[in-house]
Amino acid sequence: MKKGRFGKYGGQYVNENLIPVLIELEEAFERYYPTPEFQEEFKGLLRDYGGRPTPLYYAKNFSKLVKCKVYLKREDLLCGGSHKLNNALGQALLAKKMGKSRLITETAAGQHGLATVMAGNICGLETEIFMGVKDMERQASNVKRMKLLGAKVTPVKSGTGVLKDTVSDTLREWTTCSRTTYYLMGSTVGPHPFPEIVATFQSVIGMEIKEQILEKEGRLPDAILACGSGGSNALGAFRSFIDNKGIRLYFVEGGGESLSADNSAAAFQLGKPGILQGALMQVLQDEHGQIKPSKTRAAGLNYPGRGPEISYLCEIGRVKACYAFDEEVFEAVKVMCRTEGLIPALETAHVIAYVLNHKEEFDKDEVIVLNYSGRGDKDLETITRYFYGS
Amino acid sequence: MDLEEKFWELRERREGAHMPHVYYGDPNEEFSLKLIRTLVENGADFIEFGFPFSDPTADGPTFQAACERALKKGMTPAKCIQGIKKLRRSGLEVPLVVTTYYNIPYVTGIGTFLSEIKKVGAQAIIVPDLPVEEADVLLNEGKKWGVHVIFQAAPTTTEDRLKKIAGIASGFLYVIGVEGVTGARESLADSTLKLVNRVRKYTDVPVLAGFGISRREHAAAVVSAGADGAIAGSAYAEIYEKNLKNPEETLPEIAQLVKQIKRGCVEGYRQRLGNPYDH
Repeated sequence: MKKGRFGKYGGQYVNENLIPVLIELEEAFERYYPTPEFQEEFKGLLRDYGGRPTPLYYAKNFSKLVKCKVYLKREDLLCGGSHKLNNALGQALLAKKMGKSRLITETAAGQHGLATVMAGNICGLETEIFMGVKDMERQASNVKRMKLLGAKVTPVKSGTGVLKDTVSDTLREWTTCSRTTYYLMGSTVGPHPFPEIVATFQSVIGMEIKEQILEKEGRLPDAILACGSGGSNALGAFRSFIDNKGIRLYFVEGGGESLSADNSAAAFQLGKPGILQGALMQVLQDEHGQIKPSKTRAAGLNYPGRGPEISYLCEIGRVKACYAFDEEVFEAVKVMCRTEGLIPALETAHVIAYVLNHKEEFDKDEVIVLNYSGRGDKDLETITRYFYGS
Repeated sequence: MDLEEKFWELRERREGAHMPHVYYGDPNEEFSLKLIRTLVENGADFIEFGFPFSDPTADGPTFQAACERALKKGMTPAKCIQGIKKLRRSGLEVPLVVTTYYNIPYVTGIGTFLSEIKKVGAQAIIVPDLPVEEADVLLNEGKKWGVHVIFQAAPTTTEDRLKKIAGIASGFLYVIGVEGVTGARESLADSTLKLVNRVRKYTDVPVLAGFGISRREHAAAVVSAGADGAIAGSAYAEIYEKNLKNPEETLPEIAQLVKQIKRGCVEGYRQRLGNPYDH
């Protein structure tokens, strides 16, 4: 396969302005990542600061409902409340090695922004976060956290004020300052080498799952499920298992209200291959090639593109593309609260909803792992408003 | 008229070229047609005809807003192609360069897209999110259909890539004078001048400088530094966007600006000819 490509997907569809810095980034990643010093520093931080390894928890009560053995990979327990820190720490270290002084990034749910400012502070790098005005409203608590930690949070008003627009704006900002500034891409999207870098840093999730499940069950799981849009937590969980063809992999995207026009973020159901923000991938678009805004209550899934690697894995059938609707997702939050005493992030609740609504796909003697990507504190307002009104 | 012929004519007249960039359909088709005619009647030698795209990552706020307005009004690639046809039918002769982000020709089919724009009378294509490394298909189809593929070079472009870009340049080369996105700027970055001189080492293909050009002095500066012409876009949009209800009322002001910038291109060219150190 051509470098930077997953099947036909991927590539570097960016303005000439950015090509030199992408080449610099690729070279730096290849130079520093494999060195023992980098590995030691990265793993040390993941362990002592992040709290890795995160537990693999046998959710006994929830399992009873699903009628198979369900484990939760507890990325909600990673410092910051989601899987995002794995990638942010790795890339911030890389930025420091490259001699950059400043990090920029975009965030939707705020989890990646939060992880970036945390990692930036550790590495002594300034941080600026671009965030859609609409997302700033619905994820207000994370905005407060980021500011408290010292990030500059810049509202993005263009387009519809959501993730897609902020990625464009961050790319634009980067073209003006790439000599000193590092764009810390939050998911497995964007031009090469970002999808590869992000998946590599996130793959610690799957490596731990493998070790932990062998220890607890003496065998590998029958299925692994993860939610996603760009695909970083899913690829993080899947990568160690892609060659084990017997293990079923499920990718759950945001179904939104319904699969009818303009009410969904389910790009595998409603999109087709196209070029957005640097990469060829599965993307929601109209018949003329204009990118359509996605819609889901989970800000972190509200992106019209699926990253190149997950696009490829779904195309070849290695990963099953699934979705859950908003209504099912809120119900799933409730179920997880009542059975296991855990409040999941709305993104994470998509996986829970899928399992609850497709029990027939899992036999009673099966062992499955849900990548429990984040906790729901940030969504408390939205969730309580949904159930109890304002 | 082909690009080569136009550049030849300009050399004969001892003039730098001016290419205004418009996004078609902003705020409506009728205005865009009038705008293009006004620009040509007042000094434009080429027209960069933009197909609006939902996510124009290489464009600044002015052109983002222009795309958004045009799309909201229902602009489509098919209507853009019809627009070119209308301009040609009404006797517009200057070369037309289509600018589009890659997803639009990609979903149409690259060959189909190029054959269609060629058929209605466009001579070249600029795809701002398609670097040389990804351009094989576009280059092959461009050759097949006789459409020049215009590449860009930036201040951050390394020497070996600059050589590569210069090597496949056809029609002209578009140099991006600043590290950033399109948009009018108060003063012109020195990097434009440096980049034009770097490019000149590798190619005789005409060079047009764009990004950040909004005044006569800017155009004069880049042309006197060795560019064959100047591209300006956002500067025009900034004039009519102040009066979106009656954008036609701003056409006289736009006519003034295009005359000024064209004058800068001519002045810069003659300054260069007068420079004993120029070869």
